[in-house]
Amino acid sequence: MKALFRSIYELIGAPQPPADTPVYRDVIFPNIGLLNLGISLAMVVVFYYLINRAMGVATFNKGRHWAIFLVLNGLIAFLVTVWQTSAQQVTDHSYIYWLATWNAILGMFWFFLFSVLLKRGSTNASTTPF
Amino acid sequence: MRHFSAFPRLLPALGLILLLLPGCYSRSDMKSEEGATATSKSTTETPATAPPEEAPVAGPAEDASDVVSGTAAQPLQAVNVFLEVSGSMEGFMPKTGASGENTKFQQHIAQLLSEINRTSSARQKTFYRIKEKPYKDTYQGISATVRSGIQQPAKSTDIPSVLDTLMSQYYQPGTVSVLISDFIYSPKNAGAIPYIKTDITDALTRSGSHPDRAVSVYGYTSDFRGTYYPALVAAGKKTNCCDTEIPYYIWVVGPADAVRRFDAALLEQQPSKQAHFGVTYPRPGYSLLSKYQNKGSWYYGDAGASKRNADAYRVVAVSDASVQQPVEFVVGMNLGQLPSQYREVGYLKQNLTLQGVDTDAKLLDVTAATDQTKASSGPESKFTHFAKIRLTKPPKAARPLVLKLQDQRPAWVAQWTTKNDATPASKTFALSSLLDGLEPQVEGDKRPVFELPLTLQPGE
Repeated sequence: MKALFRSIYELIGAPQPPADTPVYRDVIFPNIGLLNLGISLAMVVVFYYLINRAMGVATFNKGRHWAIFLVLNGLIAFLVTVWQTSAQQVTDHSYIYWLATWNAILGMFWFFLFSVLLKRGSTNASTTPF
Repeated sequence: MRHFSAFPRLLPALGLILLLLPGCYSRSDMKSEEGATATSKSTTETPATAPPEEAPVAGPAEDASDVVSGTAAQPLQAVNVFLEVSGSMEGFMPKTGASGENTKFQQHIAQLLSEINRTSSARQKTFYRIKEKPYKDTYQGISATVRSGIQQPAKSTDIPSVLDTLMSQYYQPGTVSVLISDFIYSPKNAGAIPYIKTDITDALTRSGSHPDRAVSVYGYTSDFRGTYYPALVAAGKKTNCCDTEIPYYIWVVGPADAVRRFDAALLEQQPSKQAHFGVTYPRPGYSLLSKYQNKGSWYYGDAGASKRNADAYRVVAVSDASVQQPVEFVVGMNLGQLPSQYREVGYLKQNLTLQGVDTDAKLLDVTAATDQTKASSGPESKFTHFAKIRLTKPPKAARPLVLKLQDQRPAWVAQWTTKNDATPASKTFALSSLLDGLEPQVEGDKRPVFELPLTLQPGE
């Protein structure tokens, strides 16, 4: 698990400053990685299964509504990273924001992936976004 | 739609909870997690590549110097104090003058005897006056001798025979002998002078070999009012001596562990000259500091290095190093338990060495703790000394790196030694030859004061 998240998050380079490497690898990467997966899945479930199936909302199933959730998901992923790094008291460094941006991109990717996989189960939005 | 009722509405929330429950790490979790093994899926991923702590280093560092600390809490069995009362000591302990002034020796030794008598760090305290052989005395008796002068001075005492007596009759585990004397050793004739070292070694080993025998020598000077007997008898005694201060010494003889504990309890508080022979010390606490004067790309390579409450890190993982971007790291050391001689920054700068395999790591500097480091909120506040190390070549594989403090004869010994003590001075006849006799029998067998193993490894 740690190795997986490490390989994903070190695609943008090694953690900075180097002294904080163990904290990033052992704590922050797994935390934000798991949170990111969970939150993305939850957002997909809320959009397709809660709003567009269980609640039966009929006016929130267009591509732009899906895009709202996509952007919201990216924003949450960014904030989760900033929150996690400050919670673990790592040294302030611009790397934190590069990592947060990368996490937002990953979050949007997961959201897209889960959308493709799960949209069929929705009644009102089974063809959103395409 | 309605027939799905409430359950499907809860599904997303349930899924989210299931997903997040085992997930979150925090640094404080790491410890319990490692102990509890595989209770959640995330525990199975402990970094398999991290080397076991210190494993490749080991070597000679793991021997007795680590073990001796175990008994430190127990008081010593016994302390035997021997005060030399030969004629040459009379000047240190003159009868109290009209104006009530005393010598530094009287002030110091009277206080030391009182402290020994009161101390809780030894169970049994016995006091002896040394003439031709030790005569048992009481604390009151010996204290009175120091304060108001020697009643019946012995003609002369012979240092080798005194040491022989100490070693054969008073050398016990957990027991130290404390010998207070001017250590002016006059051989029977000038031809014996070159053999002083051998005489001392023989005296210490005559009653059998004691591999753990240790001697601490503390040197002091005091004003002197009386007759001065130089070692070279031919020079003749000097009455109404002296304008200069005359040295006297406290030798602590016993098993290494007992000597160390006695020194720490009773002799370390006051400033003094000191030299130690065969005394072993527990390995001081030490740790790498990743956020104190660190430079370049390196981090703690220890397993579980992200633990916030880990107290020591020993593995340097170097991700990148070059001449342009060298790696610099600081090792914090806690030398509070060592004698003051080994804590002096000057001594450390000269004698602390770095031994590495296959690396260009160099010791840059040794510094003592400052007010700034002591007040810091970081881990550097726990350490008394810091050693800064620089390297420019990344290691190819895990390699040992050892900080070693050499045991070097302090410079004062040479300064206090004289070949001719006919003129009274703050020097002692053939002192360095006397101390040569205390060195371990096998040359080159001198142990370092401590060895602190570290590991250098490439970053992953």
